[in-house]
Amino acid sequence: MALASLECLSYWYPLGQAPALTGVDLAIEPGLTLVAGPSGGGKSTLLRVLNGLVPHFHGGRIAGAAAICGLDLVRTPTRRLARHVGFVFQDPERQSVYGLVEREVAFGLENSAVSPAAMPDRVDRALARAGALHLRGRRLATLSGGERQRVAVAAALVLEPEILVLDEPTSQLDPAGTELVAGACRRLAEAGSAVVVAEHRLQPLLSSAARLLLVDEGRVGTGVARLVGLRRPARDRPTLPAWQLRGIAVGPGPEPVLDAVDVAGGAGEVVVLMGPNGGGKTTLLRCLAGLLRPLAGRVERGPGRVAYLPQDPAALLHRPTVREEVELTLRRAGEGEGAGAVLAQLGLAEFAERYPRDLSSGQRQRAALAAVLAGSPAIALLDEPTRGMDGAARRALVGLVEALRGRGTAVVIATHDAELAAEIGDRVLAVEGGRVVEAELAPPPGAVTVEPMLAQVPA
Amino acid sequence: MNGRAVAAWSAACLLGVLLSTNPAYRVLVLAAVLAAVLAGVGWARSRRLLAGLGLALAAAGLLTFATNHLGGDVLFELPAAVPLAGGPWTLESLVYGTSFGIALAAAALAMTPLSLMLETHQVVDALPAPLARTGAVLAASLNLVPSVARSFTAIAEAQRMRGWRPRGPASWGEVVVPAVLTAIEDSIQLAEAMEARAFGSGPRTRYRPPAWSAADGAVAAAAGLSLALLIAARALGLLADWHPYPYLVLPVITPLGVAACLPLFVPAWLWRSPV
Repeated sequence: MALASLECLSYWYPLGQAPALTGVDLAIEPGLTLVAGPSGGGKSTLLRVLNGLVPHFHGGRIAGAAAICGLDLVRTPTRRLARHVGFVFQDPERQSVYGLVEREVAFGLENSAVSPAAMPDRVDRALARAGALHLRGRRLATLSGGERQRVAVAAALVLEPEILVLDEPTSQLDPAGTELVAGACRRLAEAGSAVVVAEHRLQPLLSSAARLLLVDEGRVGTGVARLVGLRRPARDRPTLPAWQLRGIAVGPGPEPVLDAVDVAGGAGEVVVLMGPNGGGKTTLLRCLAGLLRPLAGRVERGPGRVAYLPQDPAALLHRPTVREEVELTLRRAGEGEGAGAVLAQLGLAEFAERYPRDLSSGQRQRAALAAVLAGSPAIALLDEPTRGMDGAARRALVGLVEALRGRGTAVVIATHDAELAAEIGDRVLAVEGGRVVEAELAPPPGAVTVEPMLAQVPA
Repeated sequence: MNGRAVAAWSAACLLGVLLSTNPAYRVLVLAAVLAAVLAGVGWARSRRLLAGLGLALAAAGLLTFATNHLGGDVLFELPAAVPLAGGPWTLESLVYGTSFGIALAAAALAMTPLSLMLETHQVVDALPAPLARTGAVLAASLNLVPSVARSFTAIAEAQRMRGWRPRGPASWGEVVVPAVLTAIEDSIQLAEAMEARAFGSGPRTRYRPPAWSAADGAVAAAAGLSLALLIAARALGLLADWHPYPYLVLPVITPLGVAACLPLFVPAWLWRSPV
């Protein structure tokens, strides 16, 4: 029996001309439902319909009908639907209220006026279902990304909802953290809950999914997953050194996070840094960029500009148009070329005159890439560049990195994305336990793409 | 540790420095607050804060000394044409400014145990039930502060790599504007997350009502005693104000005034061990 049913549902955001969802007919049943599709296609909007954030939190216009756990969507506010639908957001840091795990999990119970005597048992039960019982007494600030996201899952489960919805829950996690969250989702689905997960990286959950939905341009249909093999062209080893770290000890505080680091990279070479969250990848990039002074050792860089892409590049955007963002970088770098080339390369030509923060998250991320990597930097340092990226943005990134490589830019990428490493990396450095060592470059594992099952996509 | 006991002590300290301009009592309260903070928080965690407060104290004293040209004991004089600072600089202004700085430092320091010794939820739990929802919003806002700070640093670094340099207040727009926009987006996301967890759906309960230990009881009792004695001393005229102008005089110290301040030292003894 369907726990949620949407009938010919369309939705327009406030001031939106085009609908974000168009004529959606959907039934959510127990088991794992995966939601795939490009960024800006309507995945997050669809998920927010399931707990009433759309339309109650975001406003706008809605047409059609939806019943969630027997409750009418339009007549039932999110705070009431919350007792039936648990929701986990993308960034664990931006959804926590308290600093202590057990208090954080109990927040929903406090809001629902559950008696204090009943709370500890329910908190324990939720933590156990999310595989996080051992974290009960911990501070959130001391947890890894994967642990924090499991606490967020427990916090959503504590009200014992019939449906659990997760919006890109693993986009910021390393493989270990991803597996922890994916494991929790699998267990819940096997136990009979309805679990709805929107993700760009589908592999960890694909084998357990009961159904796969494809959301694109506001339309929802059934998707078919296909494994696409990746090819890695053979490349020559670079000869000109572009950067070198000699005997580096470095950390954000007085204690080094990384010690005795001796590594180097060449012009036109793509070096990939891999390792767990908190392992020191960002620290190494910041040291190489000159943003973090080493405690010992020497950083050597060749002449030329260093471009640095932070983990959340979209946060940089502040100019009135995408074009002006790119022109600002080029003007500062003293590079004469126009913004058009990089905008075209990233598929942003049609958005060049738009306000960057009005774009969808994927388009915004591409705008930030253009703003940071425009021109011809001598060294490009990219920190988790595929975080939360959809396929189009990812392809744009790969193309841009290849172009930079072709121009002789030394590229260093910190990432958890094994596909990206295998696809464009020349060398992989493992950053873990305070050390940086050469690692084997794995063959490209292939990527999962989702295509519409044409017969079932609404016209 | 019970948030209400700490809040009661903080309130008693605040009242101690606000009820009278007498520098002797202000010094006593500052000493009690300093001892309690060092006992509860430790030197390592509080030294930056203490240094900052020391600077604030010095700045407040200097500002009064430089701009308040009252008093009969002139130490030196600047030409009247100098804006604000022109005129006689007096011993009375210097002492009054120092006393004012001590009161400011004591008041600010009295609130620090609430942030440095308590978890956010303990502060929220200390609020009366009708303010519980406000407390949850406060806790959520406080939880956002570290991520806003991190975001500001990350944006400043990334803009620097794009060639930005801090040159005058206007140049900071390139960092402040995206940081503020990001903070607003984060706040909206948090509000969404709270709504999705039934926040605002009706009356709230508390996970665990705050427990009272013997030490908490002693701190609250000491704060209550101090508050009662302070109010009584004030009502009886035994907590007289002090006026340094036109000539400096010694403050009047009464046994009841001193007795009112002494219980504020109780936490310095009880908070010695790790909390």
